Amino acid sequence: MNDTVAVARGVSWRVLHTFFTNPAFLLPSLAFPLFFFTAFAGGLSRVSQIPGFDFPTGYTAFQFVFVLLQSAAFAGVFTGFGIARDFESGFMRRLMLAAPNRSGILLGYSFSALVRWLTVASVVTAVALLARMKIGGGGVDLFALYTLALLLNLAGTLWATGVAMRLRTQQAAPVMQMPVFLLLFFAPVYVPLDLLQGWIHGVASVNPITPLLEAGRGFISGAPELALASFAIAAGLIAGFCFWAVRGLRSAEAAG
Amino acid sequence: MKSPLDNSIEAHGLVREFKKGPRAVDGIDLRVEAGEIYGFLGPNGAGKSTTVHILTTLLPPTAGTATVAGYDVVKEGPKVRKAIGAALQEAALDPFLTGREHLRLQTAMHGITGDERQRRSDELLTRVGLTEAADRKIKGYSGGMKRRLDLALALVHRPRILFLDEPTTGLDIQSRTALWAEVGRLAKEEGVTVFLTTQYLEEADVLADRVGIIDHGKLVAQGTPEQLKAEIACSTVEAVPAESAQRGALASVLEQFGEQTTGFGPGSVAVQLADSDGNLAEIVRALDGAGVVLSQLQIHEPTLDDVFLAKTGRHLEGSGDEQEQEQEHEPARA
Repeated sequence: MNDTVAVARGVSWRVLHTFFTNPAFLLPSLAFPLFFFTAFAGGLSRVSQIPGFDFPTGYTAFQFVFVLLQSAAFAGVFTGFGIARDFESGFMRRLMLAAPNRSGILLGYSFSALVRWLTVASVVTAVALLARMKIGGGGVDLFALYTLALLLNLAGTLWATGVAMRLRTQQAAPVMQMPVFLLLFFAPVYVPLDLLQGWIHGVASVNPITPLLEAGRGFISGAPELALASFAIAAGLIAGFCFWAVRGLRSAEAAG
Repeated sequence: MKSPLDNSIEAHGLVREFKKGPRAVDGIDLRVEAGEIYGFLGPNGAGKSTTVHILTTLLPPTAGTATVAGYDVVKEGPKVRKAIGAALQEAALDPFLTGREHLRLQTAMHGITGDERQRRSDELLTRVGLTEAADRKIKGYSGGMKRRLDLALALVHRPRILFLDEPTTGLDIQSRTALWAEVGRLAKEEGVTVFLTTQYLEEADVLADRVGIIDHGKLVAQGTPEQLKAEIACSTVEAVPAESAQRGALASVLEQFGEQTTGFGPGSVAVQLADSDGNLAEIVRALDGAGVVLSQLQIHEPTLDDVFLAKTGRHLEGSGDEQEQEQEHEPARA
């Protein structure tokens, strides 16, 4: 068996085993997206009645896309927290020592982040469907929506991995989390971009998350827009953060 | 370049400098032959672990070269890691996993799956005496159990070279003896090359075919324990006068038989005998003739601690307990 794949299998098995057998890890991962979904889609539903808000499938679907993308990005960030924890505890040294090919460590963490997010996404989707979310898009649209979220998950994981590999401490958590948090919330979270005014409109217009969010909302409503641009941005983020993560791994290797 | 089947370890001019710190490893040259148990002896902070980290590819050297199993530790890291197993002090276990789950992780990372994984895990758990505790979470393991599991994890992929970084630190005598037996068996029966760091003199003496003594990052002596002790050659006599006023007279008499040395008990005078043959009777006669009354007289056969003392001018830190256990001390009263 290829060394990289073997290492990735081992690392992802351990992360997922710990995730699924420890409520302390599993429950917060599920609770936060559900909290956001309930708070935004439920508590702010009257926002959809403001003049100019014309999203066809309703406010629940409008917010569902944001929560889906947010959960994807944060599943990646939480994986970075786990990597930092492994550095602090010394377990990363065991992995570095046991792994003939250390790129497999990155691959293993990335794969486990993906599975973690798929679990969260399944629960959030089920809750959204129970809340009678309207879906205008077809199978291809929904596939595109989840693929886009998956790519964002990978980008988030690679970003946080790069930080964790460089700083190697759990105190780096804000460094991993804050930029992602800011990017997500400086996007048109509550209303479409056209309804934003002032500086927030300017920031949201140049925010790379905005096209992803708008494309995702286009997929769920069955009126795709910015599809190619959003996938190109996601691919670009992955390419950039992949380089960042691999350089981070080299930095960790050099530091011992 | 060594043959890929070579199980030796070789280092030339190995240096590791840390930012704003001293040289942790300062120009080490060593060669460990295939199937040999090499004891790397030194006090805390001497550079033992840093050397192991370099040889196991966890840390790149600042200068110098090293090959392990015939592979360069910098350029051929993946090949080195496939050939070696290591149980390090700082490599933690995951408190959320059981012993068997750790083995599952380790086997998976080495591409061992299915029945072979099960067989190998069971075999290793039996060998290190953890079969009954295999399905318990690590947080319930004692220090000794963790060390034994660590050894099992290091052996999962049948490594040709094994690095053990202070494997018995903190273990009780029984666990320590069992681990020594297993390490000895691995070297003798399976031909595994063992690189063992320790601050315990007895461990190096009992286990190692050859010993390297490291201090302040430098290798200060290297050879078999017998060779190193032979370099010291002579026993040391330590005497305590009955009255402290006679300390000067005691020193004058003893200096007739050798060079005074330091590092022994307070109030005592010690000399390293110039003659390798025992001459305790002559010493006693000379002391009697000079009217020196002793409260205590001891003759120390050379130990690795004496070697350390001779090479560095001080005793090996943390070896006090071990020295007491050594059988080489022969107390005698005049």
